[in-house]
Amino acid sequence: MTAARATGVAVVVLLLAFLTVPSLVVIVVSFNPTAIMAFPPHGLSLRWYENALTYPQFQRAAVNSLIVTAAATLLALPIGTAAALALVRHRVAAHAVWAAALLSPVVVPGVAAGLGFLILAAGLGLLASRWVLIAVHAILVLPFVIRSVSVSVANLDPALERAAASLGARPSRVFRRVTLPLLRPGLAAAALFAVIVSVNEFVVSLFVSTRVTEILPVAMFTYVVNYTDPTMAALSTFFIAATFVAVFAAERWLGLARVFGLEGHARGGPSR
Amino acid sequence: MSAGKRVVALEGVRKAYGETVAMDGVDLAIDEGELLTLLGPSGCGKTTTLNVIAGFVVPDAGHVRIDGAEVTDRPAWQRGLGVVFQSYALFPHMSVADNVAFGLRERGVGRAEAGDRVREALALVRLQGVADRRPAQLSGGQQQRVALARALVIRPRVLLLDEPLAALDRKLREEMRAELKEIQRAVGTTTVFVTHDQHEALGLSDRVAVMCHGRIEQLGTPEDVYERPATAFVADFVGASSALTARATSGDLVEICGARIAVRLDRMLHTGETVRLLIRPERVALGSAGPNTIPARVSGVMYLGDHSEVRLELVDGTRLLASVRGRAAVSAGERVVAHLPEDAFLETR
Amino acid sequence: MRARLAGPLLLAPGLIAIVLFATALGALFRLSVLEFIPGSLRTGGVTAANFHAVLSAQYLRAIGDTALLSAATTILTLLASYPVAYALARARSGRVRSLLLGLTLAPFFTGAIVRTYAWMLVLGSSLVSWPVRLLFEPSGVLVGLVHFSMPTMILILAAALAHVDPALERAAASLGARPARVFARVTLPLSMPGVVSASLIVFAWTFSAFATPELLGGGRVKMIANVVKDLALDSFNWPGSAAFAIVALAVTLALVAGLGRLLTPRAS
Repeated sequence: MTAARATGVAVVVLLLAFLTVPSLVVIVVSFNPTAIMAFPPHGLSLRWYENALTYPQFQRAAVNSLIVTAAATLLALPIGTAAALALVRHRVAAHAVWAAALLSPVVVPGVAAGLGFLILAAGLGLLASRWVLIAVHAILVLPFVIRSVSVSVANLDPALERAAASLGARPSRVFRRVTLPLLRPGLAAAALFAVIVSVNEFVVSLFVSTRVTEILPVAMFTYVVNYTDPTMAALSTFFIAATFVAVFAAERWLGLARVFGLEGHARGGPSR
Repeated sequence: MSAGKRVVALEGVRKAYGETVAMDGVDLAIDEGELLTLLGPSGCGKTTTLNVIAGFVVPDAGHVRIDGAEVTDRPAWQRGLGVVFQSYALFPHMSVADNVAFGLRERGVGRAEAGDRVREALALVRLQGVADRRPAQLSGGQQQRVALARALVIRPRVLLLDEPLAALDRKLREEMRAELKEIQRAVGTTTVFVTHDQHEALGLSDRVAVMCHGRIEQLGTPEDVYERPATAFVADFVGASSALTARATSGDLVEICGARIAVRLDRMLHTGETVRLLIRPERVALGSAGPNTIPARVSGVMYLGDHSEVRLELVDGTRLLASVRGRAAVSAGERVVAHLPEDAFLETR
Repeated sequence: MRARLAGPLLLAPGLIAIVLFATALGALFRLSVLEFIPGSLRTGGVTAANFHAVLSAQYLRAIGDTALLSAATTILTLLASYPVAYALARARSGRVRSLLLGLTLAPFFTGAIVRTYAWMLVLGSSLVSWPVRLLFEPSGVLVGLVHFSMPTMILILAAALAHVDPALERAAASLGARPARVFARVTLPLSMPGVVSASLIVFAWTFSAFATPELLGGGRVKMIANVVKDLALDSFNWPGSAAFAIVALAVTLALVAGLGRLLTPRAS
């Protein structure tokens, strides 16, 4: 290995360490026996895990997160799939405008969207309703669903649907027997994205939720602002562990590289 | 063979994509049991024509009839045709057997009968033992046979093949060419074949439609199209030819580069008129002096195994291509004499 | 023709989402031009007072600080992300690529609160704060923001680099260029569209950052989003907050429009 390449590898390793170290620190601190956050810690203890798991507001927020994320994902998947098919396949008129509009929630600053929805919900008297939160989450994850499914739709050879039609299948049968099964990787990735984005959604949810309906990140934020013990570290470790598992599993099963467009030249394209 | 019932009729079909005109008033009639090839360079409209027959593309104007019935607006899944795509379009998530059975399932054929017919179809295309494999596990040639079996098993009214051999390497292509013809003869299905390869077209077809810029330049048997090309484009696209400018000195005599050449065209020439003539390389003979000969210099020889291409240059620089069997007895730089038979000429504009 | 209806029909549910979103933004616009009545959530008549307040010195400084911090974040993130993106795009072994991708994605998906909290720990720890005070300082927020933006930029850059045909680099090498020259004359220029779009995205995103400055800034670092929240949820000045949010929105949209203009001639 040349000196240049060795330096390059070292640089990349350092940068990756920069990316990863904070997570490691959190994990270590979560086992800290005392309330004063000391790094490096002076011993090992599971008390903060116990605290995190039994803290009522966290429990309620966790249940809320589950409900909101599940509902939002179940709403966003069919809506997003339909939109992806329309945009990629059917070449609707003013296609670029539709695409921009559907993907806009990503672009709009969280505080603007959050405040807007707060004002709208307050005006309609719906502030205490969980459905506002669900609708907001569905709208926020929709761009990610559309993007994931679009990749799959774009990779779907149109000749396959024509072949099915030529063999006598009416459009609904073509969708059921050919299109949908082949979209499965995109749909799985879309669901994964939707769940991850929704579970971690914070800013907009901060504006739109009440203490009763608030989801986990908002509860965590309130906790950090008010308390300084490592309970947060314990909870964060759960998040980190779950995310690592989910990401590595997804990469293994779905091949996230393709989803992110990392398969460029000469890297296994569609098989002939 | 042809002169039977008219199965497919296209009348005045037009299709444009924005500024590009893919089909510019195409009229075509395909007879029962014949194999008709749409031949032309890329962009000539042959694939669009196939797609219009199949129902994947709706024309801007004109009519499409199958067995006399107007089907112009009928969607593809109601036309009962079989299509083999250039990319084969085998369903990657289904086994070979399920792929071939797809059309049968859509027609409500029961599992047992479907199984038998699938086996029959795979045997017809000489592909056994792969029924349970996935398309990705097959070679290109095998995938092509599966695509063919899938289209044939439903006993289509017309079989449409869109450059099915294009993705195969040369040897395989030639083998499949012969097999395709045998299968078509055996099954007797009316077939439309699309290709840009003139050898395929000449070898496979009962009739050939040579297309250019969305129009059919000539429709005829392979001999018609090769021996009696209707336009310069057809003469040039189907087979090679050399273009010679000649000045008529009488009704059937011309002067080319100072040499007196007798020509037998389908008309009498007017003295003094300039005429453009085409001659196929295999009709140009190299040899001794005599009537209808013209002096030339050999500018290059390419030995291709079963024949050699001899590139000649006339006195005024005009290029003349000659094709001789086996090894050519001449070499570059030599001065030779080329014999041009009087019935070998085609007039062109 | 039934086929022609399919497109619009499929978009109909998406249309509902768009309408809802637009209505929320509309409510925002509407409130920003109404008068703020201190001490209540009711509002007065139409006025431009909120936008005047936005343009006062104190708030302009917040906008300026935000822009500066975003620019610094973008540049540092770019410098830190390019090497990782290059490694990811050019990784030959699938396992190495999986590892790099996993390490890049994992912080991405742990969420803003967790990541920011992690930096609170690291920056507040005795190891780090002894040599230099970073927690509750703009520099600490900068570190947090860079960490937040790196995964996004790495992914975009890696995708752009993956689409640079390796054959081009080989061609340059065969013509006598050293690796550094190949990078400077072939790879870097060809990855420029990715660099530009990634930078604009990171800038726009950082411009609206909330959690990182809120927690790592300890009340001393105020970016636009923090001001919006303060006005809305602490002072209950919803009209003022709305005006400020619209400023943030306008800047972000301008950036995205600029990005769109830049990328349109080059079809991907």
